[in-house]
Amino acid sequence: MTKQMVEVPPKGGFSFDLCRRNAMLAKKNEGAKAPSFRKTGTTIVGLIFQDGVILGADTRATEGPIVADKNCEKIHYIAPNIYCCGAGTAADTEAVTDMVSSQLQLHRYHTGRESRVVTALTLLKRHLFNYQGHVQAALVLGGVDVTGPHLHTIYPHGSTDTLPFATMGSGSLAAMSVFEDKFKEGLTRDEGIKLVTEAICAGIFNDLGSGSNVDVCVITKGDKEYLRNHLMPNLRTYVSEKGYTFPKKTGQ
Amino acid sequence: MGDSQYSFSLTTFSPSGKLVQIEHALTAVGSGQTSLGIKAANGVVIATEKKLPSILVDETSVQKIQCLTPNIGVVYSGMGPDFRVLVRKSRKQAEQYHRLYKEPIPVTQLVRETAAVMQEFTQSGGVRPFGVSLLVAGYDDNGPQLYQVDPSGSYFSWKASAMGKNVSNAKTFLEKRYTDDMELDDAVHTAILTLKEGFEGQISAKNIEIGIINAVDRKFRVLTPAEIDDFLAEVE
Repeated sequence: MTKQMVEVPPKGGFSFDLCRRNAMLAKKNEGAKAPSFRKTGTTIVGLIFQDGVILGADTRATEGPIVADKNCEKIHYIAPNIYCCGAGTAADTEAVTDMVSSQLQLHRYHTGRESRVVTALTLLKRHLFNYQGHVQAALVLGGVDVTGPHLHTIYPHGSTDTLPFATMGSGSLAAMSVFEDKFKEGLTRDEGIKLVTEAICAGIFNDLGSGSNVDVCVITKGDKEYLRNHLMPNLRTYVSEKGYTFPKKTGQ
Repeated sequence: MGDSQYSFSLTTFSPSGKLVQIEHALTAVGSGQTSLGIKAANGVVIATEKKLPSILVDETSVQKIQCLTPNIGVVYSGMGPDFRVLVRKSRKQAEQYHRLYKEPIPVTQLVRETAAVMQEFTQSGGVRPFGVSLLVAGYDDNGPQLYQVDPSGSYFSWKASAMGKNVSNAKTFLEKRYTDDMELDDAVHTAILTLKEGFEGQISAKNIEIGIINAVDRKFRVLTPAEIDDFLAEVE
């Protein structure tokens, strides 16, 4: 008698089927470890200066050891006065910032007022906590509203910090070392941009997961400036005009 | 006729082929405050009376003309609370469209979706039709547009239209005065004159509301009382 396999439609939620196997493997091979989390390849920073907030990010998107996008945009629009840098899974950061941006737009219509940074913060952290860290988005949220300039970091599990300067991503240690050395309160706009650029460059040159160019976004009361590719320290300088010719059957 | 026997239920046709509840909804609209819209060559203007029940009401808290998207605005005649619900739904639909297609929703699409909502409420159990007619004004790649949406869910594109108490006088006035090559400023003047026709009492910036959208920046905005005063002065 043959047993027939009944097709059961997959239910939602986490599938625990492989947990026993994993536990057995770990016990059997003492040396075999479960694969670790892939570190987010990014350097994103933010700091508060005298007139508002400056956000910075690198522009490399990685797929394991391969550079998937040499010039991607990591500073996302949330509201006219609020921007958010995203590290982690690119799709997650895009989708979650897009969704919150939409919700804030509706909120603005209903209240008739400018959005506040804490509103964006709460919407983001509630969403991330609901998904228990499976939405892998680590964000640096900054903006200026009626209550003043604000800078927050949001972790994938939904916890948040409020800081005068912040860094996230795999290049965060390199960038933080620059901030810890040179940050002070009441920086001017140019000093702030210079410091942010230096911090991102530290990430670009010392971390494999970050690279290419520096994006900067300056937000002040009533105004914002998105400096896309503010610094391009990794231009491809030499391109041969002659091109390349290969003899036949190369690569066989 | 035998219509009265069929007027209790929304979802039952009368022998003459009408849904009597919708007729009643249109009556509710017809007893609301006058509102009108005019499509000019380079923009659209919508306007409405803003008669408050008492001088003690804070007129700055009442805003009858609302923005649905940065380039689409709407005004109504009829029941204010029904209007608020429709505005909320329309804004959400416009935002969802934008989320999905990353382009601002075209005026026709938004009108169609709003009309679909209004139609739903004429074919469901336990609900009543919305007691408002809307005038939707917008500017997109097809130029300036003006649509009227009725409680039944039908919509029409108009060059100029009016709704509410003074509808027949207002429409006659508009028919005489409308020209195809009207500019936006002329249209605003004509709108004010049309409102003035049936206005009880003294017209002023405090008891009318005007919203415009022009070809230059394609942004819908409600005029401030100061701007309305300027237009009123020009019209005198």
